[in-house]
Amino acid sequence: MATPTAVLEPPTEAGAKGLKSGALGLVSTTVIGVASTAPGYSLAASLGLVTAAVGLHAPGIMLLAFAPMLFIAAAYFYLNRADPDCGTTFTWVTRAMGPNTGWLAGWGILMTDLVVMPSLSQIAGRYTFLLFGADGVANGVLWVTVVGVIWIVVMTAICYVGIELSARTQVALLGAEIVILATFAVIALIKVYADNPASSVHPALSWLNPVSGSSGALAAGVLTAVFIYWGWDTAVTVNEETDDSSRTPGIAALLSTLILVGIYVIVSVAAQAFHGSDFLTKNSGDVLGALGTDVFGSPFDKLLIIAVLTSASASTQTTILPAARSALSMAVHRAAPRKFADINPRFLTPGFATAAFGVVSIVWYVVLTLISKNVLGDSILALGFGICFYYALTGYACVLYYRRHLFSSARNLLLIGIAPLLGALGLTWAFFKSVFVYSNAANSSSGTTAYFKFISFDFKIWHFHFFADGLGPPLVIGVGLLLIGIPLMLLWRLGRPEFFEHKRGAAETIDGLAPPLTPGVGPVA
Amino acid sequence: MAGDIILGYDGSAGSAAALRAAVQVAHAFGAPLVVAFGYEVMPLGGEVADYARQVRQIGEEKVAEGAALAAALDPSVAVEAVAVPERPSDALLTLAEQRGARCIVVGGMGDRPLVGAILGSVPHRLLYRSTVPVLVVPATDD
Repeated sequence: MATPTAVLEPPTEAGAKGLKSGALGLVSTTVIGVASTAPGYSLAASLGLVTAAVGLHAPGIMLLAFAPMLFIAAAYFYLNRADPDCGTTFTWVTRAMGPNTGWLAGWGILMTDLVVMPSLSQIAGRYTFLLFGADGVANGVLWVTVVGVIWIVVMTAICYVGIELSARTQVALLGAEIVILATFAVIALIKVYADNPASSVHPALSWLNPVSGSSGALAAGVLTAVFIYWGWDTAVTVNEETDDSSRTPGIAALLSTLILVGIYVIVSVAAQAFHGSDFLTKNSGDVLGALGTDVFGSPFDKLLIIAVLTSASASTQTTILPAARSALSMAVHRAAPRKFADINPRFLTPGFATAAFGVVSIVWYVVLTLISKNVLGDSILALGFGICFYYALTGYACVLYYRRHLFSSARNLLLIGIAPLLGALGLTWAFFKSVFVYSNAANSSSGTTAYFKFISFDFKIWHFHFFADGLGPPLVIGVGLLLIGIPLMLLWRLGRPEFFEHKRGAAETIDGLAPPLTPGVGPVA
Repeated sequence: MAGDIILGYDGSAGSAAALRAAVQVAHAFGAPLVVAFGYEVMPLGGEVADYARQVRQIGEEKVAEGAALAAALDPSVAVEAVAVPERPSDALLTLAEQRGARCIVVGGMGDRPLVGAILGSVPHRLLYRSTVPVLVVPATDD
């Protein structure tokens, strides 16, 4: 991300928004970006799923999936400038594309945050048992679910009370996580060349090529891999509160990018070199746990498990906080029940929204555990649909909102036009391509489980092969939850039409703050 | 306008007791009273503008309420109300420095030291970091 120049200078009166200005330094901003992305947990949760889709081309997918995220981050950066509300995509899409699409975007954020919770809890539960050497229990459903539920309760309570680790603690935790992951990669690679562990493969340059064959595999790989960069945009959007808001966010974004892409590529190369990609696919539920023992040996393998757990806790926090705030923002703008805007007077957090999200997460996690054979796999893939949906909308919203400013400079055209549009198109492609892939239940990680068996067809138009024999769980969860939003929106619209009277608009200037979305709520600045 | 009395007020029982003490101190010194509320929203997890606005609203209501209470207790004391977008302890310290304050008055944490230790207690932080005297007032039953 380039450093903003005078042409695209952010508004200076950050303090006027009720925010403390000059709060975050370069290190903290970078840390927030990387910690929100949670590399340890992301790798633990998704590496096996990526290799399942593309085999040894996983490192290439890790590289490729970053491109749309980078492009969408540009959209985040500039839309945040117009409207730094915590509704993010919900507010921006409402402005650019009207209240109906905006409402659905908000719903998309909430559902995506909800879908990631079972995967986080599952990883937390599993790795907690691995940490204490109870590997047998770690593979059982009941106790992992129990610990997973406790995990959600504790993390929701932390967000409710508003406990925040000091910046120094966060830097230390993240630093440890990165060092452990890097050490893991280095030791694994050394052992690959020195000891030739079972079914190890020497790294090859072709691994960095994301294209492994079919475009369906590519889309499935991207759908999984967008998840590992999810949250990275936070580094770009905390610009209002940084020490030197014209330089810090740019450098922080660049640094966190290098750290993330570097870690993902190196760890995925090392992991698949060590035991081959089939091992990762087979152990997709606890890749790092399974590899850690062979790479580090006891007791140092516990370090890797601790890194995954701290990473998962950061990720849980950066899921609950934005989910509650999105609900708060929707409530403030009359797009959701008023209750969700309640601020707990003692802790000053969106108390009701936070608690509600925790409760719904637990219900969803337990239900999913009961109906799915592979909670983790189904969740991560379903999550990909949600992320693609609302990130793509963000990209389109940026282009539409700034449509009058696109052609005023080459820089504008690139950063608020071409980049967001390319990102959005890429994610749209991955979304629809994956719909086709996962309409075949055999392609999902649960294997043969299929819902809606009456949906069954097999035909070809031109070279598009339409095939379904029942629908796979990732598709049902990912797209199903998004679709439920449509009747809900219509219901809310019947009962409380206020929010839906908004007209879509275009930005008046690229630097100016947008007028308040809902009259009577008070200006943004 | 040096010599202000800075009162940390959040509407809790402890801060209400602190308010009564602060009014007396302000009266005794003939000093102006600043009723302050510090708030901070977590930047972790992205944008916070409308959330911060909601919190600010709460803060402004609290200090207005505190200022009204103080004025009712002793009309001779000059009262000012401010909501500061900083962590509560930082907000009070900043204000004290800006105003060249005579002292800071806050409510005690009551009889729950463990809660204070976990959540971080404002009086505790102030006692270590303040360069002006700090008056910690225990909550009373009335």
